[in-house]
Amino acid sequence: MSDPSDISRMLCGQTGDQTLRNHSIYTQMMETVLSFMKLTTRDQQQDPVLEGQKHSQAIREEEALLGHLMIQLVKHVESVATGGQKFQLSWPSMDSRDNVRGGQQAQSSRQTCQDTFIGYDLSNRGLDISSLYHSSFQDHNTYQRNKYHKENNTLGFINLGTSENKLCVDLLKERLRRSDMNYVDDNLLQYPDWRGQPFLREEVARFLTTYCKAPAHLDPENVVILNGCSSVFSSLAMVLCDPGEAFLVPTPFFSGFIFSACLYAKVELLPVHLDSRVTSANTSPFQLTVGKLEQALFEAKMEGKKVRGLLLTNPQNPLGDVYSRDAFDLHVIVDEIYMLTVFDEAITFHSVLSIESLPDPGKTHVIWGTSKGFGLSGFCFGALYTYNREVASAVSAFGFLHGISGIAQYKLTQLLQDREWLDNTYLPINRFRLQAAHKYITNELKALNVPFLNRGSGLFVWINLKKYLHPCTFEEELLLHRRFLDKKLILSPGKSFMCKEPGWFRLVFADNHLLLRSAMHRFHQVLLEQERDWTRKQLEDAIKE
Amino acid sequence: MSTLAQKEIRMAATSLGSSSAQGLPSNEGDDVERECSRKPDQKPLKHYGVGDPSTMVSSSSPHLSSRGSINKWFWDSFEGIQRTCQMDEYDEDKNPNGIINLSISENKLCLDLLTRRLSQSDMLWVEPSLLQYTDWRGHAFLREEVARFLSFYCKSPAPLKPDNVLVLNGSISVFSALATVLCEVGEAFLIPAPFYGSITRHVHRYGSVRLVSVHLDSEVTGMETRPFQLTVEKLEMAFQGAKSEGVKVKGLILINPHNPLGDVYSVEELQGYLDFAKRHELHVIMDEVYMLSVFEKSIEYHSVLSLERLPDPQRTHVMWAPSKDFGMSGVRFSTLYTENQDVATAVASLCCCHSLSGLVQYQMAQLFRDRDWIDQVFLPENHARLKAAHTYVSEELRALGIPFLSRGAGFFIWANLGKYLPEATFDQELLLWRRFLDNRVLLSCGKAFECKEPGWFRLIFSDRIHRLRLGMQRIRQVLEGESQVAADAPSCQTQEPRGPGSHYED
Repeated sequence: MSDPSDISRMLCGQTGDQTLRNHSIYTQMMETVLSFMKLTTRDQQQDPVLEGQKHSQAIREEEALLGHLMIQLVKHVESVATGGQKFQLSWPSMDSRDNVRGGQQAQSSRQTCQDTFIGYDLSNRGLDISSLYHSSFQDHNTYQRNKYHKENNTLGFINLGTSENKLCVDLLKERLRRSDMNYVDDNLLQYPDWRGQPFLREEVARFLTTYCKAPAHLDPENVVILNGCSSVFSSLAMVLCDPGEAFLVPTPFFSGFIFSACLYAKVELLPVHLDSRVTSANTSPFQLTVGKLEQALFEAKMEGKKVRGLLLTNPQNPLGDVYSRDAFDLHVIVDEIYMLTVFDEAITFHSVLSIESLPDPGKTHVIWGTSKGFGLSGFCFGALYTYNREVASAVSAFGFLHGISGIAQYKLTQLLQDREWLDNTYLPINRFRLQAAHKYITNELKALNVPFLNRGSGLFVWINLKKYLHPCTFEEELLLHRRFLDKKLILSPGKSFMCKEPGWFRLVFADNHLLLRSAMHRFHQVLLEQERDWTRKQLEDAIKE
Repeated sequence: MSTLAQKEIRMAATSLGSSSAQGLPSNEGDDVERECSRKPDQKPLKHYGVGDPSTMVSSSSPHLSSRGSINKWFWDSFEGIQRTCQMDEYDEDKNPNGIINLSISENKLCLDLLTRRLSQSDMLWVEPSLLQYTDWRGHAFLREEVARFLSFYCKSPAPLKPDNVLVLNGSISVFSALATVLCEVGEAFLIPAPFYGSITRHVHRYGSVRLVSVHLDSEVTGMETRPFQLTVEKLEMAFQGAKSEGVKVKGLILINPHNPLGDVYSVEELQGYLDFAKRHELHVIMDEVYMLSVFEKSIEYHSVLSLERLPDPQRTHVMWAPSKDFGMSGVRFSTLYTENQDVATAVASLCCCHSLSGLVQYQMAQLFRDRDWIDQVFLPENHARLKAAHTYVSEELRALGIPFLSRGAGFFIWANLGKYLPEATFDQELLLWRRFLDNRVLLSCGKAFECKEPGWFRLIFSDRIHRLRLGMQRIRQVLEGESQVAADAPSCQTQEPRGPGSHYED
């Protein structure tokens, strides 16, 4: 669990989403001690094996949290004593297993704690950033060290947690090795235009004009290029919000945003909870409605939060929803990184840039990159399109910290301008392969009787494993997640997307067929084990009675 | 000059390179301004200065946060001037009357060698792992290569470890990340001044960290052997001074070889500074980006990584990048070497915002691996060209009777144009800078480096000879009063470009 306060809240049985961010460290400590006591007393009452494991795990986490808070406390006391500085509460790390990295919550926040003890050299925010890293990256690092390989390491980890498109690596490799890519000139080696080289900004504007179906030519002056979409979002958060201010985000959403919002900008993301149940007002599962947004905005205001914007992802990650146009009636950042992953021909994707007259163009900012549609996450490229020149200038100033190599900018330009290859080779083949992989996975899920949201875009399916949780809690969700890990399979649990209902998982299917087959085999094994254990426990309980 | 324009320019000048945490109440802006107009005959009152920053941002936008407004202002003012000049850059054929830019610390002498090497066929390698997410610290193959490279060129007593290496997209990012993970908002680093002033913005942009300048003096006094010499005593005074003002100093930034002085520290000096830092439990950020640009054979360079015994290895963090030494500032690549795993982890966790393309990582590893090319082609040729360019510019300056410092390292000459200022003030320095610009040559003035004494300018010589010739000719015209712009009728009412932020290298 990356967020200590989250654990305590969860274990205390409080409901999920208001954070303890505004509490002092002392309050956090008191609450943790309380929940710690509850845990230990509960431990005396029941002791089935699973419960025992769960408890010892939870207790370890509590210990770790206590340790972490102690360090913060010591540091604060010290800073107050020595520096005479204003007492300042550091920003607690948020619950953000960042699934870009495909990691999962660390078994060992204890490790974090031990490390932070040594980490006396770091500032409080440095400590927070580090513990966030530990919790988010530990399993990604484990994965990096022990990757599945069809010949050399069949027992390695299979990662269906990281949203990457690995279906068209062959096409990209071939394209990127053509001779036109091998070009270097003086200009590419010298200090760049920090907004991105003009030739790339022009190409991005042309590209988005075509593929977003913009009514008029998009202007290269409105484009800012940075080294990845998380950098774009981080910079936007910096220039639109002051520390502690907030964006509204419909949940479930991609947890990488929390990570980017928290790292530097210290911006809060306030969840707009969507519901999986279908009702008269909620015509599809997890539907976002203006009513829900207004409600969330109202609640945030009541709590005294300053909400500066709304963050939307379209097509939706992890749901794969494609919003209809009328949802865009608000001031927004729209992440359209999955734009080119719509593989179902029946679906039409509407970019916000395709809208004839935007309600408030000066407050509409679009993020796009090549990491999903092109599977080029290792290229580290992200683009902002904004009609607001002030925002463009302020974000450009962050180009100093988020610049991309001129050589990479050149290659990207070559790639984006090769429309012949894009339209006749890459995009159709990519769409076809996404369809096939999606079909395979959804058929498997159907055979296993696992409910899922059937959407025609994105690189993932959002699956419901509620019926395997007894009881249906986030604790159990985490345990099931660990069970997958024990079988060397990485999936992302719903909690990491701030989903309100336990039991949802995101499964990435954009990988090669053999790997998916092994993965589904492991997946099935885990579900069988989970069922078997539950039956056994029920029997044991019956015998006891 | 109108009062308004005067105020405008002074504001830009005083703000330049100075910085403070946003939201901190501050009146130091006034201090700086007072100091600027202080008569030259007065002895400096303080041997240090606490940088202050965002106070000069007058306008804020309803669309932007307050930090957004500060960054927009940075972008429009200091950072804007380079853009303005870039658009009107000199070109032999297309724009012969364009601006000769001798203010950006870039090595343009070996671009031919580099473009040739980087377009060889081995550079076009692509494999799936290069296109996908990887270790945020950088690909393992690259970190191994960097460790080998630094072990060799820094002459480390034992092989350096790849696990201590982090790869980021440029030195600016390294400064920013270190500031964030080592300091709280409003805390500070010590830095000997003059120093290249953009660091101020880099540590402020995300980190809201301040810089405390350790003011060095052009006059050689006491035990000193050279102008602007850094001594432990000066470090101590600045540290104590800042402390007495309630500024918490967390670290010391050292640049070696030094920009803009060209100083190369001796082992004894380095040891002294590091011991000082250890005494006060300060982190040391060693910026060694000019390490391989020591072109004078008589000079012996000592990387901090070559020391047998580091006083405080856990608090010593070394930065190196090929941007200067290989003239590749556009590649956006820098390395951090630190034995402190907590710092490494904290910086790595910021790396998801500071990573660089896998393809470029591969190319860099190929480059560092090619020792034959580096040792037999690139370095000798680069040093010879640097030396020739340096010789040309220094002879020109000697002919003009201009005193200057330059010790055979780096790309710059630190020249004293004090005798051309009617009075020794920063206003006059700015006017002279402006006259250079009006005569189509861009230099960096001392104020931009937080220099205490008006009249110093940094001049970059690592450019092609025909540009240098023309640049020197335009400089001479201004100094000999031959330029079109008369000294008594300065054109500085123009507000565009607004500030002398005539340097923004990393």
